[in-house]
Amino acid sequence: MSEALARVEDYFVGRFTAMAGPCEVLVDSDDRARAGRALRAADKEARRIERKFSRYRSDNVIERINRARGRPIPVDEETASLIDYAVACYEMSAGMLDITSGVLRRVWRFDGSDRVPTAAAVREVLQHVGWHRVTWENATLTMPAGMEIDLGGVGKEYAVDRAAALIAAEIGDSFLVNFGGDLYASGWRRGERPWRVGVDDPEQTGEAALYRIDLPRGGLATSGDARRFVRWKGKRLGHILNPKTGWPVEDAPRSVTVIASTCVEAGTLSTLASLRGPGARDFLREQGVQFRII
Amino acid sequence: MRQGTKRLVRTLLLLVAVGSASGCAAAKIRPWDRDLLAEKQMQYIPYPMVHALDEHVYFSKEGSTGGSDAAGGGCGCN
Amino acid sequence: MQLGAGPGPEGGPTDPAPRAPSIRGKLKAAACMLFASGVPGMARAADAGPTTQLDITGLYYSEASRVSVIEPTARFTRLYPNGQSFFAQLGIDAITGASPSGTVPSGTTQTVTSASGTVTTRSASEIPTTKFKDTRVALDGGWTKPFKSFTPTLGGHFSREKDYQSIGANGKLSIDFMHRLTTLTLGAGYNRDEVFPVGGTTAGFTDPSLIIGTGSDPKRVTTGMVGLSQVFTRRWMMAMNLSRTHEQGYLTEPYKLLSLVDGTTGLTVGELTEKRPSTRDRTSVLVNSVYHLTENVIYTSYRYYWDDWDLRSHTLELKYRNVLADNTFLEPHLRYYTQSSSSFFKSNLIQGDPLPEFATSDYRLGPLTTVTLGATYGFRPRGSPGEWTVRLEYIGQLGDHHPNDAVGALRQYDLYPTVNTGTVVIGYHLDF
Repeated sequence: MSEALARVEDYFVGRFTAMAGPCEVLVDSDDRARAGRALRAADKEARRIERKFSRYRSDNVIERINRARGRPIPVDEETASLIDYAVACYEMSAGMLDITSGVLRRVWRFDGSDRVPTAAAVREVLQHVGWHRVTWENATLTMPAGMEIDLGGVGKEYAVDRAAALIAAEIGDSFLVNFGGDLYASGWRRGERPWRVGVDDPEQTGEAALYRIDLPRGGLATSGDARRFVRWKGKRLGHILNPKTGWPVEDAPRSVTVIASTCVEAGTLSTLASLRGPGARDFLREQGVQFRII
Repeated sequence: MRQGTKRLVRTLLLLVAVGSASGCAAAKIRPWDRDLLAEKQMQYIPYPMVHALDEHVYFSKEGSTGGSDAAGGGCGCN
Repeated sequence: MQLGAGPGPEGGPTDPAPRAPSIRGKLKAAACMLFASGVPGMARAADAGPTTQLDITGLYYSEASRVSVIEPTARFTRLYPNGQSFFAQLGIDAITGASPSGTVPSGTTQTVTSASGTVTTRSASEIPTTKFKDTRVALDGGWTKPFKSFTPTLGGHFSREKDYQSIGANGKLSIDFMHRLTTLTLGAGYNRDEVFPVGGTTAGFTDPSLIIGTGSDPKRVTTGMVGLSQVFTRRWMMAMNLSRTHEQGYLTEPYKLLSLVDGTTGLTVGELTEKRPSTRDRTSVLVNSVYHLTENVIYTSYRYYWDDWDLRSHTLELKYRNVLADNTFLEPHLRYYTQSSSSFFKSNLIQGDPLPEFATSDYRLGPLTTVTLGATYGFRPRGSPGEWTVRLEYIGQLGDHHPNDAVGALRQYDLYPTVNTGTVVIGYHLDF
């Protein structure tokens, strides 16, 4: 493991790389050993979840499901709860959040070019999209050949919340977990100060913070990435795909940041908002959550 | 004995009635509605060992026994 | 810094999107479920390996001036990610004290010799009791594993004390319907108990000093049950169980005696052992309900019981789990039990009358009411693993103080005085 622990002002910052991105754990403490324990717990959990749910690996439950070719695959309790959560999202979004929609990436490349797939290609791949084609009962999943599931949509946020719960069991200090921009803060810092989170300008990730959010407690997630888009008929289409049409959602905000009680909820709400395109703001207002839209 | 059997049949009919009446209500519960149902305290007997001790005490003091399970070892409780 | 209500750096046009204000709430519940699958324990989800649970309970039971029992029990449970689990349990009962022998007050000071060989002297109005001391060791084990909608469970039991041995097996099959909202359970059990009383088993209606060892005549208990459980709403579920038990063999209490009294004076002239039928069919219907308020939980149960000894009973139980803080709860508990007398219950036999076919003066087969009041306090100490529960309970038993069949001097005595019992149960649960 390549962990690094550094003292910054009056807290510790631990860094490592997992889930294809930089990860950080901030611990509001003067005790290096405790901060180290928090860092190791987070690192271990991030790697465990990545190993178990990444669709890029050939030795995990996602791979077994995606290669089952119509055979029923029984899954363990943790996978079952993630799938249950995905089903809940699918139903409450009327099918807009769908863990089987990942196969659309076979035809869409969000590389900033103006290449869009043909209507026939989209139609062809859409035959393999739709949770309603899947049988999910008693922790056993049966899916027609050619379909795939991808828990990546919730995996990173789930890892953040899990890591946070593990750290809380390990130390009593206030801390913040940040896995590639998905965050969880455990509570007020010493001296009743919140954690301060800078939100990047989507056009210049990592270079300029557009604004700052004070986050004393809860999960924060951002959906949208302005660098992943295609150009079509003079429009700029972001990478959020509508699983019903097989096309990107038009006029989706470039970046939606939501604060909720867990990172998983924040992530789902921000994706749900993005899927509504220009209706994102109204949607989030109705939910009564704190949010920022760019 | 015969009277007992009649009562048994009546009880079974009642069981069936309870079961079928609930069919429509049941369909409303979604997986994410199971948050409360999944909690440990949401069981008929959340603490089975304490329950077994209770049953043992009542068995030794009362003329009735049983009801919740097919299990149960006897004792020569006086 | 304004959030939510304030305008963002770039406002978008509004869309006639459907109103969905409840999504956040549903999402919260769904997320709750997601993390309910093992956040505090952690071990469960960590690479999905098996986990172990340890449960320890200790019961201290004390009946005013009668029996006291100390019963520690330990159970190990091994749980596997596929739902399979095994458990093994060891329990030890240490009982000391005195239990009513069944005879009535003698009216004169007397000395009695009991079957276990102890000698007691007691006053005229006192209910005669038999002193005893015993240790019981019980072993239990079980296995269960879900296969899709079917969950079979198997269990075994063995217990041994000085003069009693019990061995049994039971099986159960639960079948889930309607996405696990309805569960049907079928169960069966068989138990074989043997009594080896000091001096041998009695034939019934014999002089206790002339006990003949009749060898072993085991008691066989066969149980069958059908249960139906139903989830009605997110907060409420109910179950109904019907169970039927057939007992055959030696059902008499070897140490229980009946007084033979003079029909006019009520003075004891002799003692006989009791005699009960050799079969008993018990049936009970049990209804359970669990209702979850926002945090607190209400448990109610009602049982109706009847058997072919003509004993009928009603049991009503109520518990209210009151959550005080994140890791503490207080659960008051109330139980009311009332039974009618069995057909052959007699407080005594009259000298000179023809002997009935069966007779017992065991208070447990007479009219009886039990009231239980108690409370459980549960807590998880911060910074240390495991959950503790402490329960205190009072059990009051009211018999028929002056039964109609009492004669002569016996009318002046309280033949079935109220028995007060206190119990303390301490429990500890640990996941590791």
